[in-house]
Amino acid sequence: MKKYQLGEFEEIVMLTIAILYKEAYGVAIKNEIESRLKRNVSMGAMHTALVRLEDKGYIRSHDGEPTEERMGRPKKYFQVTALGKRAMEYSRETRNALWGAIPDISLNVKFS
Amino acid sequence: MKKPVAPPKLFHRFFRWYCHPRMLNHIEGDLLEDYGVRVAKKGKWIADLRFVLDVLLLLRPEIIRPLEGYKNLNTYGMYKNYFKISFRQLAKNKTFAAINISVLTLGFSCFILLALYLHDELSFDRFHADAEKIYRIIQHEQQENGTIRSVSSVAPALGKEAREQFQEIEDMCRLSAFGRVTLGNDPQTRTHERALSADPNFFTFFNFPLIEGDPKSVLQNSDAIVISESIKEKYFGEGPALGKQIWSGYMRQGKPVYLTVGGVMKDFPKNSHLQISLLFSDATWNVQYNDYAQYVNTDWVDTEYTTYLKLKPQSDVALLTSKIKNLVKSNYPTDREFKSNFELQPLQEIHTETEQFQSAADEFNAHNIKPFYLYTFAALGIILLLTACLNYMNLATAVAIKRTREIGTRKTLGAPRFQMVTQFITDSIVLLLLSLIIAIAIVYAVLPFVNVFASKELSITTLPVEWMVGVLLIIFIVGILSAQYPAFIATRVSIVDALKREVKLGGTSLSVRKALLVAQFAISIMMVASTLVIYQQLNYLREKDLGFNHENMVVIDVNSRNLRRNFETVKTEFSKPTEVLGITASTRVPGEWKSFPIATTKSSENINGSEMIFVGIDNDFLETYQIKLLAGRTINDPVADSLKIVLTQLAVEQLGLTDPIGQTIEIPKVRYGERMEELEQPFRVEIIGVVEDFHFESLRANMMPVIFGALNTSIQVIDYYTLKIKTNDWAQTIETLKTINNKIDPNTPLEYTFLDSRFEELYVTDARRGQIFLTLSIIVVVIACLGLFALVSYSVESRMKEIGVRKVMGASVNSIVSLISKEFLILVVIAGVVGLPIAWFFMRSWLHEFAYRVPFGVSVFALASLLTLFIAFVTIGLRAARAARMNPVNSLRSE
Repeated sequence: MKKYQLGEFEEIVMLTIAILYKEAYGVAIKNEIESRLKRNVSMGAMHTALVRLEDKGYIRSHDGEPTEERMGRPKKYFQVTALGKRAMEYSRETRNALWGAIPDISLNVKFS
Repeated sequence: MKKPVAPPKLFHRFFRWYCHPRMLNHIEGDLLEDYGVRVAKKGKWIADLRFVLDVLLLLRPEIIRPLEGYKNLNTYGMYKNYFKISFRQLAKNKTFAAINISVLTLGFSCFILLALYLHDELSFDRFHADAEKIYRIIQHEQQENGTIRSVSSVAPALGKEAREQFQEIEDMCRLSAFGRVTLGNDPQTRTHERALSADPNFFTFFNFPLIEGDPKSVLQNSDAIVISESIKEKYFGEGPALGKQIWSGYMRQGKPVYLTVGGVMKDFPKNSHLQISLLFSDATWNVQYNDYAQYVNTDWVDTEYTTYLKLKPQSDVALLTSKIKNLVKSNYPTDREFKSNFELQPLQEIHTETEQFQSAADEFNAHNIKPFYLYTFAALGIILLLTACLNYMNLATAVAIKRTREIGTRKTLGAPRFQMVTQFITDSIVLLLLSLIIAIAIVYAVLPFVNVFASKELSITTLPVEWMVGVLLIIFIVGILSAQYPAFIATRVSIVDALKREVKLGGTSLSVRKALLVAQFAISIMMVASTLVIYQQLNYLREKDLGFNHENMVVIDVNSRNLRRNFETVKTEFSKPTEVLGITASTRVPGEWKSFPIATTKSSENINGSEMIFVGIDNDFLETYQIKLLAGRTINDPVADSLKIVLTQLAVEQLGLTDPIGQTIEIPKVRYGERMEELEQPFRVEIIGVVEDFHFESLRANMMPVIFGALNTSIQVIDYYTLKIKTNDWAQTIETLKTINNKIDPNTPLEYTFLDSRFEELYVTDARRGQIFLTLSIIVVVIACLGLFALVSYSVESRMKEIGVRKVMGASVNSIVSLISKEFLILVVIAGVVGLPIAWFFMRSWLHEFAYRVPFGVSVFALASLLTLFIAFVTIGLRAARAARMNPVNSLRSE
């Protein structure tokens, strides 16, 4: 059984939340991903991921202040929880472990 | 400040509509912020497009608003939980769930079936549009010897005159039965059909549906007949039959009469007291008999016409009844004494009338049922439902008490008692619903068989809504009431006791449960005893010595003149085959369906006269039927002995004669079915012999005295030949008889019956009721035993340690089994004490229907008790033995 369930996109979202630290709200996360990874992120995909992550208990949220450009709608800030952190670390470790297990020769193929 | 640019309104609103309210605000904020940035960077059009795209891409399950609402302002969750717990309970106690569901299902399906049956019985004759306004005239006629003869038919002129004179009568319809008619265009396949004739307005008066023909005119013409669909198919096959002609056994000016099909009616619904398959128009008789019109219009004495009246609303029935009486009285022939009373019987009460009126023919009250049986069946339905629910109550209490730890925990966590009661009631509702659904499925599945068995047309779909709701309501009320008790018992415990699991099974709860068990077994014993009595009675009826031989006898019904004339030749012809051991001609045979001629017989000692069955016989009758001649001789020659008679002992007794042989008695009048005829001159006859008593009719009725006279007296003509037959190949023998019949009379087919099957038929309904009772009592016993089994299991389980200790101390399996069995068997014995007197009372009133009944007493009840006790013992013993044989280590080790 999988210890922590974390999809690829979910992991990216979590990492971004961690990067943004206190400024992680919807549009900011989206822009950050778009600018760093050069990929388009739809509002739907991101919010779905956020809902799922919150349900899993990897992130938590609190309401922020309403602003003018949001026509008075409040921001919702996200934060990685301790469980979320463990999930991220687990994911990273497994990858590292897998990377470490790759013999040098395997990826050093030269095509002559 | 510049006016903010707004995103496309439609999509914005769409988003607000579908989005989960909890996320609405911040996601909307994100969308708007994004939109503002895009408008600034890429222009409004692109931003709008992206906005629409985003809104559509947000349409995902996680974000859409949940259907049932998101704010839990109610306690639906709790109800959900109740059901969840209920299902878990069922899954946990699989045996008990299975026992409970099967018992409840049994009880419910029987209850529903009985309700369907009762509804059908009560729905008789209600399909006519004017059913409530229709009455049948009943005549109570005082006989000379003081008894009252009640007939459901009256004189022909009465209906017509009443209709003309009394304005409260809206319409009138008369029916008369005239026996049977031979029909068929092909001489080879001709058969006899029972037929009635009716006034032309029959189909507008009643609402029997017609397939072909106009209700107003089908019975208008002479020689017109209306036939039922099945008769039509029999003679005309598929396709319309309107206007077709058919040969009939009637003769007019030496030629056979051809009848014309004036209409085809649907087969009569089974819930009609009238069951007619062939109707003649009354006009036919005007052509057939010269003086018919005069007879119909002027006869006030006969009781041949079943007369129905349709009254105007708010008519005074009592007043009309007296008017009718006066009308008949004023028109009654002056030379006769008028001694009759009349009654108007509502159409809807005909089917369940308590008093069995004499009627002109079977068709006039087919399938009549006494209210006694309806009450019995209703009571049985309720009893079954009750036992099932008692059983459920018992088991549920036992299971509930086992759940004390759960209750204790709930209480500790602050659950109010009401909530736990609701939990228990939810358990019951789940169980009830499950059982009800299965029960309805079972009813659907068995209904076709039940219909064949009871020859009914029961169906769930034709049950009116009120009944359906009523039945379900009764089931639910009884079910929920029975759920109350365990719920309150189980939740009554204190928290500490509950958590310590020190709740004892004793106390009031156990005694109530024992009482419930006693009730169940009382009902079981009652049913078993009743079933035994019913079967004993049926056996008694079958095996009672009727006073004559009725086995291997074939009765040939005489329908034509050829067979009636020259009976000596007919007898010789029929006695030629070697299989025929004996043959006799007579006017009536035992187990008769035609009515017996009843002769009023006087003697010097009995001046008022007694009513006796009169049967004409030939010289072979007593020998063929093996009726014992006690004194004198039998009728030897139809001519020489035409003024001689042979009596039964009972007749001799009633006539008050001590030395009957040689005495002369007098027969002043004879009644044929409904018609009383004064003989032109009293028939004076001499007694030449006395025979032993025998039963000529069903054993329901008292034995009637019988007079045997010669054939072809002034009283009646030959109607039957009875053949005593000894054969191994019945089919071959019947073929031989058919060939002989064909030689004597090529026009009419042979009509024959077996004498013993005639007698069987007399008790068919009783046998059927016996089977119903047997089935139901098996069900009741099974339910009771399942309940007992479950209760014993609980008792045993809670005493596992005790049993273990006893075993360690050296108790034998037998002693443990008897220890456990004893307390339950005592209950069964108490149940017997309660149930048997009720059964005795009930059976006594049932047996009153029979003039000859099996003497029943202690033995039946002892047998019933022993049987129940035995079944109970086996049930208890099975479970107890299993417990007693268990290794005590298993029960003692766990601590």
